[in-house]
Amino acid sequence: MVEVVADRVAPEQKKSGALDRGVVERLAGDDPEWLATRRMQALRIYEATPMPSTQLEEWRYTDLSRKLCLDKLHSPVAEALPDDPQAWPERLRSTMAEDHDAVGHLVLVDGSVVHTNIGAHLSSRGVVLTSLRRAATEHPTLLEKYLATQAIPPEDGKLQALNAMLWTDGVLLYVPPGVRLEHPVRVTRWYSETGAAFFSRTLIVADSASKLAYVDEALSDDFDQETLTSQAVEVFASDGAHVQYVSAQRIGRGAFCHAAQRILLGRDATLDMLNVSLGASTTRVDLNARLLGSGADSNLLGLYFGDGDQHFDHNTSQDHIAPAARSDLLYKGALDDSSRAVFRGVIRVAEGAQQTDAYQTNRNLILSDNARADALPKLEIHADDVKCSHGATVGQLDEESLFYLMSRGLTRAQAERLVVVGFLGMVLQRLPLGGVVEKVTRVIEEKLRLGAHA
Amino acid sequence: MSDTTILSIENLHVKVADEGLAILKGVDLTLPGGEVHAVMGPNGSGKSTLAKVLTGHPGYEVVAGTVVFDGRDLLELEPNERACAGIFLAFQYPVEIPGVSIANFLRTAMQSRLVEGEELDLFDFQDLLLDRMNLLDMDVSFAERPVNDGFSGGEKKRNEILQMAVLKPRLALMDETDSGLDIDALKVVAHGVNTLRCEDPTMSVLLITHYQRMLDYIRPDVVHVMVDGRIVRSGGPDVAVRLEEEGYAMLREADARTVVQM
Amino acid sequence: MPKNEVIERLDLDRYKYDFRTEDMPVFRTEPGLSEDVVRAISRYKEEPDWMLEFRLKAYGLYMKKPMPEWGADLSQLGDVLDQIYYYVRPQDRMKHSWQDVPDNIKDTFQKLGIPEAEQKVLAGVGAQYESEMVYHSLKKEWESKGVIFDSIEDGLKKHPELFRDHFATVVPPADNKFAALNSAVWSGGSFVYIPKGVHLETPLQAYFRVNQERMGQFERTLIIADEGSRAHYIEGCTAPVYSTESFHSGVIEIVVAKDARFRYTTIQNWSRNMYNLVTQRALVRDGATMEWLDGNLGSKATMKYPSCYLVGEGAHGSILSIAYASNGQHQDTGGKVVHAAPRTTSTIVSKSISRGTGRASYRGLCKVYEGSTASRSNVECDALLINETARTDTYPYIEIGERSANVGHEATVSKIGEEQLFYLMSRGMSEDEAMAMIVRGFIEPIAKELPLEYAVELNRLIELEMEGSVG
Repeated sequence: MVEVVADRVAPEQKKSGALDRGVVERLAGDDPEWLATRRMQALRIYEATPMPSTQLEEWRYTDLSRKLCLDKLHSPVAEALPDDPQAWPERLRSTMAEDHDAVGHLVLVDGSVVHTNIGAHLSSRGVVLTSLRRAATEHPTLLEKYLATQAIPPEDGKLQALNAMLWTDGVLLYVPPGVRLEHPVRVTRWYSETGAAFFSRTLIVADSASKLAYVDEALSDDFDQETLTSQAVEVFASDGAHVQYVSAQRIGRGAFCHAAQRILLGRDATLDMLNVSLGASTTRVDLNARLLGSGADSNLLGLYFGDGDQHFDHNTSQDHIAPAARSDLLYKGALDDSSRAVFRGVIRVAEGAQQTDAYQTNRNLILSDNARADALPKLEIHADDVKCSHGATVGQLDEESLFYLMSRGLTRAQAERLVVVGFLGMVLQRLPLGGVVEKVTRVIEEKLRLGAHA
Repeated sequence: MSDTTILSIENLHVKVADEGLAILKGVDLTLPGGEVHAVMGPNGSGKSTLAKVLTGHPGYEVVAGTVVFDGRDLLELEPNERACAGIFLAFQYPVEIPGVSIANFLRTAMQSRLVEGEELDLFDFQDLLLDRMNLLDMDVSFAERPVNDGFSGGEKKRNEILQMAVLKPRLALMDETDSGLDIDALKVVAHGVNTLRCEDPTMSVLLITHYQRMLDYIRPDVVHVMVDGRIVRSGGPDVAVRLEEEGYAMLREADARTVVQM
Repeated sequence: MPKNEVIERLDLDRYKYDFRTEDMPVFRTEPGLSEDVVRAISRYKEEPDWMLEFRLKAYGLYMKKPMPEWGADLSQLGDVLDQIYYYVRPQDRMKHSWQDVPDNIKDTFQKLGIPEAEQKVLAGVGAQYESEMVYHSLKKEWESKGVIFDSIEDGLKKHPELFRDHFATVVPPADNKFAALNSAVWSGGSFVYIPKGVHLETPLQAYFRVNQERMGQFERTLIIADEGSRAHYIEGCTAPVYSTESFHSGVIEIVVAKDARFRYTTIQNWSRNMYNLVTQRALVRDGATMEWLDGNLGSKATMKYPSCYLVGEGAHGSILSIAYASNGQHQDTGGKVVHAAPRTTSTIVSKSISRGTGRASYRGLCKVYEGSTASRSNVECDALLINETARTDTYPYIEIGERSANVGHEATVSKIGEEQLFYLMSRGMSEDEAMAMIVRGFIEPIAKELPLEYAVELNRLIELEMEGSVG
């Protein structure tokens, strides 16, 4: 199957810059009417919303005025690649080659889907894995209901509105009631055009009592100009559904990488989620899990490892709306050189959400004199019959551990790397996804080897 | 110094780093290759410090004295260099390293013993690990557990012996390996050490212990008694037996006199 | 018996300090705030010019700074601030003997048990009524050792250099809106100096009373604990219940010199129509220790975060706090520790209890600057919820710029467990006894630090709020 996306902006647009009204109108011109209307509505909201400043609590530690200059970015202009692995960049090919078991694949290059396949036995049962752009015409009912509506509407914020008005493509995964995917769906993203702003969306709908796993890997070489990747991820886990979502971000330096993620969980729905942030110059993740049905259960895991002058800002929230739901968050990070991490997490227990179990833990290892970690774990509790706790720590490598390892012959660098991998790897032990865990471990080890602690 | 001497300590003075507190106040000890020596002494006598200093623990500072190991100046070496040269310390309190499996740890340790550029053959390593676990009657799944994390006292000590069996040191320092062990666990540890000595009769052992009990299972050639940072008496296994019967208190009195006379 | 009835019977909410005294102040400014009011206060106190200038500058800052949009709900505060009296002078001058204090005021403090406690267990007592200290006394033995314990006004008059060297150095007027307000209209509070090496064996106590309706109290306390000294200062606060809101905004500045050790205990039991917005901060030098012990039981809304700025090597800061939030109350409290020197250590332990529609929020900051090597900080927050309408929040900020720092924060939220209640009742306790026992156990780690054996008054407050009529 070949998908060549035709509606790319013409190269001459590059000079005029801009993520302006003209680009939105051009995109809307190719949309079905309902979608065009929404795009223009998102534009209005965007224009009416001020850029978040550090005065806002949620942006206190990430200064967008210094880290993101929208005026310098342009819409991608490069020609789309063909659906032919031989034409793909070497790193994309090698990443694909070390694949684990999967029931379907989807490849995006510079924000556009260039390849999809899904097992025939699944498509015959109604499973959909496709380009979001195609889905706008092929699955309009599904999109009208779920796309940028209940999960991440443009009203959510400036960057969310920006994505809603400028997205060019993305992923739709739909799994019908009772269908259980035996292996993950794999999505691989490659970015190459420097100075561009890429906007994509992911929509995952797990219908009742279905089961799916989704692994999303994003990578690129370093960029010589500031480049933006913006993702809006909307996940609907209906009653009794089981969703496993993994994102591994290894985008090159020079990129500002923003991901807005919202997961809505119905009654007895289960979510296992892992965000691995290793790349980009600035990474901002806004994650919100909303437990809307009783018995819902979410495990939210995160890993980050910073070096150079990388900046990570993870902004998470666990919203307990329904009673008797459970959520457990564990984010761990290690920071080398002059990298910096911000973790801001909140557990909100709404009135009436009794028998809530909610936990939140953030642990940081500081590996260098210039690294820095800020943690803001918050609780807002409006019900009394709850079990809630949170913890945050910032510390350094334990000298006794290093000595123990060195007394067995490891060099100091080897000992440090081993302890860091162990420290981070414990997050993965909570993820019940065998092949994926191995892959992610390799990815972390690779970054550690390349980093200063090799 | 005879040709077979593996370890030679002369006039070793050690204090706690960053503090003035002197712990070792002139230790002399010679250990010929292939022998088992025991260092006994009351709590606080400095015997555990001796083991840590020989391994290069950063918490201690050598003020004076020399330590020659296998013809090399040991005090010049980093802890990992000492390990690669053949020193192994079985820790009194093995450290927990969460998230790092024993197998991964030992693989890295073995790799670090190879010359730069040489890659450890993973199949050879697997074979070695299995062989060593068989030797010590250990379950294969043990190697996949994180290093000491959540281990019982006995399991931690068994893990030390497993590491010793894999790394095959020339000199094993056993720092109160018997403390906190029941008699069955003690037998397991002793069996491990004895098995390794059968395999390689040139391996030397320095046993640091408070009790005679351990010496019933690992027979020492020489027993040294340490009091207040000095070796005050050395002799055959009967020294340990007498110590057990008479206690350290008497010895301390007697040796206090000896020291004064000297 | 249904649980709510048990809670009512626990009588946690009865406010026993709701008595008022009819009296006629000797002077007061017109309601509301203006430059004229600021000038009048300064004129009335016969202050030096620099202080008037300081006040006017602070007034300008106050007018410029916006109302905080975080923490307690201050949306109605603007109206309150327009209507209150900023300065009320209850008697002509401060007394050093209770005999000389006017009867109506003396009665008030007698009902609060102050003179009794003074005789028994205190090194010195200060009593503030409305805007002025009406009584100040220090035992002779301490006076002879050079200890100064006086009203802040007398501190300025009698020790102008010591005063000016330290005043507003720990909490500058620009620090926050209410520090600016206090700097403009401050009146009353203590001036304390503990000389080098002097160990005060019994505490100093200051008692703050607001009697009049629509009153604003703005005391200002400056404490200097010189090298190697040790002392403990206790403040207590109450007011009668009026239908209109009152306002209290104090500023406490403490300098803890090298190797000194200072403890500051607050038991705040303002009536539940009081806005209580206080800035308390200590500068802690080499090897010194500062301990804040903070009990917030009363008021309508409290925003108070005692702080330790650890600026000397090896300095230690400790903040222990209890907050109790009942119907209509919001306790937005916590603590700040700033590590700005090597080997500094700090601990924060916060316990809160929310019941009815009460809301207790912990808000804290732990900041470790780069270069504050081998510093450690540990924060523990526990919240207890007594029924389903209560609310609790935890807002910790942890900012770490130093590699060798070790910082931990933990918080838990729990309710009084049915299992716990049942267990205790199966041993023969009534439900209210069992509940009181659990609440007592919950706050025990902090309550045991209170100087109960000294301060009879404080003891009574804690008993009343936490245990009610049983136990």
